[in-house]
Amino acid sequence: MRRDLTAAAQALRIGAGQGLAGWTVLAGRCLFYVLIMTVLSALWDKVAAEPVAGAIPLPKGDLVLYVLATEWITLALPSVHLRFEDDIRSGGLEPHLLRPKFYLLQSLAQSLGGTLVRLAALGVTAVAWLAATGRAGPPPAAYPYLAVLGVLAVTVGMLLYATAGLCAFWARRILPFQLVIQKLMFLLGGLFAPISLYPDWLRKIGEVTPFAAHLYWAGIQALHPSGTMFLKAAAWQVLWIALLSLLCVALWRAGLAKVLREGGV
Amino acid sequence: MSAVITVKSLSKAYRYARRRGGFFEAFSPEHVIVEAVAGVDFEIGAGERVAIIGPNGAGKSTTLKMLSGILEPSSGEASVLGLTPWKQRKALAYKIGVVFGQRSQLWGELPARESFALLRHIYDQEAAPFAKRLGELTERFALADLLDQPVHRMSLGQRMRCEITASLLHGPNLLFLDEPTIGLDVTAKAAIRDFIREHARDHGQTVLLTSHDTRDIELVCDRVIVVNQGRIVVDQPTDQLRRRFLGRKIITFQSAGQGVSLDLPGVTRRASEAHATILEVDTRLTRVEQVIAAALADGGIEDVTIEDPPMEEVIAEIYASTHAA
Amino acid sequence: MIGSLRLYAAQSAAAIRTSFSDRGNFAIQVGGMLLNDVFFLTLWVLFFAGFRSIGGWGLSDMALLFGLTMSVVGVSGVFFGGYRDMAATLLRGELDALLTQPKGLISRLLVRESIATAWGDLAGAVFVLAVFAKLSWSDLPVLLLGIAAGTTVYVSAAISFASLAFWAAGARSFARDLTDFTLLFSSYPGSIYQGAVKAIAFTILPAGFVVLAPMGMVRHPSGETLGLVAFGAVLHAGIAAALFNLGLARYRRGASPSM
Repeated sequence: MRRDLTAAAQALRIGAGQGLAGWTVLAGRCLFYVLIMTVLSALWDKVAAEPVAGAIPLPKGDLVLYVLATEWITLALPSVHLRFEDDIRSGGLEPHLLRPKFYLLQSLAQSLGGTLVRLAALGVTAVAWLAATGRAGPPPAAYPYLAVLGVLAVTVGMLLYATAGLCAFWARRILPFQLVIQKLMFLLGGLFAPISLYPDWLRKIGEVTPFAAHLYWAGIQALHPSGTMFLKAAAWQVLWIALLSLLCVALWRAGLAKVLREGGV
Repeated sequence: MSAVITVKSLSKAYRYARRRGGFFEAFSPEHVIVEAVAGVDFEIGAGERVAIIGPNGAGKSTTLKMLSGILEPSSGEASVLGLTPWKQRKALAYKIGVVFGQRSQLWGELPARESFALLRHIYDQEAAPFAKRLGELTERFALADLLDQPVHRMSLGQRMRCEITASLLHGPNLLFLDEPTIGLDVTAKAAIRDFIREHARDHGQTVLLTSHDTRDIELVCDRVIVVNQGRIVVDQPTDQLRRRFLGRKIITFQSAGQGVSLDLPGVTRRASEAHATILEVDTRLTRVEQVIAAALADGGIEDVTIEDPPMEEVIAEIYASTHAA
Repeated sequence: MIGSLRLYAAQSAAAIRTSFSDRGNFAIQVGGMLLNDVFFLTLWVLFFAGFRSIGGWGLSDMALLFGLTMSVVGVSGVFFGGYRDMAATLLRGELDALLTQPKGLISRLLVRESIATAWGDLAGAVFVLAVFAKLSWSDLPVLLLGIAAGTTVYVSAAISFASLAFWAAGARSFARDLTDFTLLFSSYPGSIYQGAVKAIAFTILPAGFVVLAPMGMVRHPSGETLGLVAFGAVLHAGIAAALFNLGLARYRRGASPSM
């Protein structure tokens, strides 16, 4: 067990190294973050500036900060689903199966390594963007909370995409699974707007899903920082990381059993 | 004999960024220049079948890529069928056939027949001569039962037969084969070799192939160019090379008791293990069956394997002998 | 020219047949994509239920925008499906085999695959345009023209992004992100874009030319709107061809990361 974790830590380091090695791509992603924030801030500024009769009231504070956090997480996510699809569908799995370490843990750790590097780079970009546009950011005390929730949030997101990727054992292309999961992240996780703005019944559904654990809880911390909310958010995230990990392991075992039984996918 | 390929001091250098450990080093990578092909000269005449051999990374594939127009050289000249490959790639493409052993040019999920039909349009072939050619190749290569099977359901050997057929459908005069027998079993290899040799001979086709397998060279090619570290080490007819380096077999005897000891001309004992005797046989002096007969007469033999010396060893020897000379 | 089109049609037909070859899988793909589109539409229905209108845009405008986007993605996926994973294809070195053949590179890369999910987008597009977008039959010609131009821009942008793979190995997921986010930008009410943002939406990410300009043409057909749409298509096709060929020259010098 301890050796498995050491190997996973090594994979995480390799992933982080790969993330840094592709620094041109990393820089491009940061630039992209700036672009999308420019658009989304235009959207929210427009809604705030031109209230329409009969519209629901906006929450207090700058909704742009909420979107800044959710996009920070979204853009840091790895394409772990593509990697699984590639490995499973192209027979790239076999060399991994010959090794004594658990493929799933190894590849997830490696993906997470790259993700953490992106998360850090995008976080710096977010702070720089706030400074450059002259917007007031969250209070400094909120940053440590945000850092913790951000790491947990990308882990939830990575595991969600991993479940999509593992569907490659049964489906030739996992794109529809990934897109459905992505849209559920956007919808029930509240990418553009906090789910608290939804009708009450939908908000209640959204809150208990892994999609909220992926985006909403970290986003709301940027909008309304609070210690209590932090604990609640972290609890939901840890719960979903545990459940999704179990789901991934179950999918992996079922898929592997299929491969061993049928000699391929 | 007119030259089909002329190569003059052809070179290709790659520039790599070698990254060192830390974060900041990522921004100032150190550049390393690797000379994959370092000034090679050769000429290949019409109808010649030539093998380029050498260890991994010797520059075989790079040379083939430059001659087929995929890759531009760093310096030097080449003329293939009167064209400069990297400048007149498309014009050359109509006249050559190319097979990359590890890459497919067929549509995996479609029956081979449909891939062939698409290739007819890609190479602007008239229907009638194309059908005739496909008919001939189908017969020669025993493809009749395969044509309606999706390529991805074929065995590697079957797929390779289809790949080679695909590369010949437009009637090229020159064939480039990059590791055409890689990963195939003995029977499939033999079928591919016979086919390439006979087809080339009957059609006066020029063949340039790269391989790791000494048998590919012996059975298909009449001339061998050995490269190492981007340079040509040896360029001579296969016959000459066979006499000096290829006419050898490695025979391993497994025996229950003590090892086999034979006193025959041209037979030398290699480092042997318990219950296994490894002999190197110069087949010009003593034939394989003589060695085995003698060993059997000696008694106690449980198993025999006969192998060709590995390519790396042959090349090392060639390399050593040319440097000594 | 006619010969090239016939060749493309033959290859495209082969790719589509391939995508149909596994019925069960095809059904999963199409169904999954429809579900994805429904979720996305729901997001905006919810949004407009809450905020009513954004800078004068209502749900029917959003539906037209959305229907155009899905049409563009649908047509691109069915007939030019190789656009989606082009960076990966380049990095795998699959260009080598194409380079030894005399016909077409970009076209061969585009036609190498037809994406089953795209049929789901096409079905969704027809539904949304017919039910929510408040269009009449007389809008059909200009709508089709808009879809053709939008597809040209979208596929061109994907080629440009994929061409980054000639320079950086990590460009694979980045190219896909850029392509996806071009769509995301294409999915916002055009009324929010002003000044510099509008310039970005019409240039680096050609979101404006993928759907916003065609949409303007559908709502207000005129020489001016038509001109803008045509300009976008030609401009982005030109950029894509230039970037690809620049990258290709690099690849053939052996300087690309996959070599």
